[in-house]
Amino acid sequence: MTDINPEKIELDMEMTSRNLDDSPISLLEKIKKEGRVWDDLSEQYGVDNPDPPWKVGLDSTCDVLAELSCSQPLPALERRWEEDELSKKLYADVPFPERQLLALAHSMIRRGLIDEGDLARHMKIVDKRLNMV
Amino acid sequence: MSKPQFDREHHVKKATGIGDPQCFKGEAGTAKFKVGDKVRVKDLADIFYNRCQVYTRGVEATVAELVYESPPAEDEAWDNCDNPEWFYSLIFKQKDLWPDYPDTFANDTLETELSERWLELA
Amino acid sequence: MAEKKIEGEHLHPPAAMVDEVSEFEILEIAVRELAIEKGLFSADDHRRWSDYMETVGPLPAGRLVAKAWLDPEFKKLAVTDGIKASLSVGIDWINDMPSSFGTPSDYCNLRVLEDTPKLKHVVVCTLCSCYPRPILGQSPEWYRTPNYRRRIVRWPRQVLSEFGLQLPEDVEVRVEDSNQKSRFIVLPVRPEGTEGWTEDQLAEIVTRDCLIGVAVPKPDKTANDKRSVHPAINPVEHH
Repeated sequence: MTDINPEKIELDMEMTSRNLDDSPISLLEKIKKEGRVWDDLSEQYGVDNPDPPWKVGLDSTCDVLAELSCSQPLPALERRWEEDELSKKLYADVPFPERQLLALAHSMIRRGLIDEGDLARHMKIVDKRLNMV
Repeated sequence: MSKPQFDREHHVKKATGIGDPQCFKGEAGTAKFKVGDKVRVKDLADIFYNRCQVYTRGVEATVAELVYESPPAEDEAWDNCDNPEWFYSLIFKQKDLWPDYPDTFANDTLETELSERWLELA
Repeated sequence: MAEKKIEGEHLHPPAAMVDEVSEFEILEIAVRELAIEKGLFSADDHRRWSDYMETVGPLPAGRLVAKAWLDPEFKKLAVTDGIKASLSVGIDWINDMPSSFGTPSDYCNLRVLEDTPKLKHVVVCTLCSCYPRPILGQSPEWYRTPNYRRRIVRWPRQVLSEFGLQLPEDVEVRVEDSNQKSRFIVLPVRPEGTEGWTEDQLAEIVTRDCLIGVAVPKPDKTANDKRSVHPAINPVEHH
């Protein structure tokens, strides 16, 4: 008989009800609407690579967030379940791997791992950096 | 709400250079079942981190292999690695899993792994 | 991208590049950098992973199968100790991984499933899409979809026929649901028409789809088919 940990019981209940707030997040909706997907970009520029250059970065972020030694902020089973749920409706029309990326950002924002406002601001900084000639 | 702090460093030290599930070898004690045994999957209470597919509950299977010893997923999710169990590779007849599976394909099977706590002799 | 002919000479066009930055590319970078800023993980942690992910692909698994076809002793090893057999194709499940003991999602128990003329394996992970990445690379999109995961266990023959694979009634189709720490590749039956082939030649026809089990090797086929992904029409109820 294992020791009863009150925190564990609360978490148990949270997990079994598997709550996911799948209401739209405005920043992600904007990206969904305006972002150019790799399917289109690779066709336009005649690039053969089936995956966008950021895919390895995305997969690595997913893996490292699930790592035991990094205090596992977003375990794989949960992230995948949420990705499946979000892919049913909210991001159903987004191709892969853009869909996986939006689902990851969605999960992280809803869990309070990152903040939507911070993300929007940081995107502007990255945009400037990448578009500097 | 933060997750409880457990000793993850311990697991990293234990498994590095050895492998997981290799690092649990010898810790599960005597296996309850052997190759060829007919077992049934118990319908234990559901918790989020269980890795026993709903479609196997209550169904009979044959033990094909004793694959490794490891803490069951249900414990490991909470960093409880104290009680490793034997894991078994089980073969189910598709016809037993899905009653309307076509008779034409009577030989078809499904194989999956479950830890000892999920099984009882049929 | 037409070739330019200048006085009878051929000039090759420069390698094609996508010349614009998409919002998605920015999003990926911003998420990562913000996560690092917040201390969710370090830049080093991420680099360890991305360096590793760049190295994985399906070639070692294809080579393992080719070796097994040519050497009955190696085939025995492959079927009984997949981790040890992987070393022969340069893959060390225990020590090469970013965490040096197998990652939380890949672990260290490769099981090689031997097909026979009367037994055909196909691999799935219904719970979340676990996949033998260290020896097979990153999983294809269709493998991760609920469409594949829910239907292949329930209607394997229908799903396989969608992949262009039809099997006789008396062949046992065995679906391997990869739900715990084992990871699986299929060791298909060596096809006719490959007598006298070298290991290189054999490895070339063992595609990723053959190693998952949704295709069988053919002497004239060295690439996976392109797949489009459709919503499920008859999905199995998930947990």
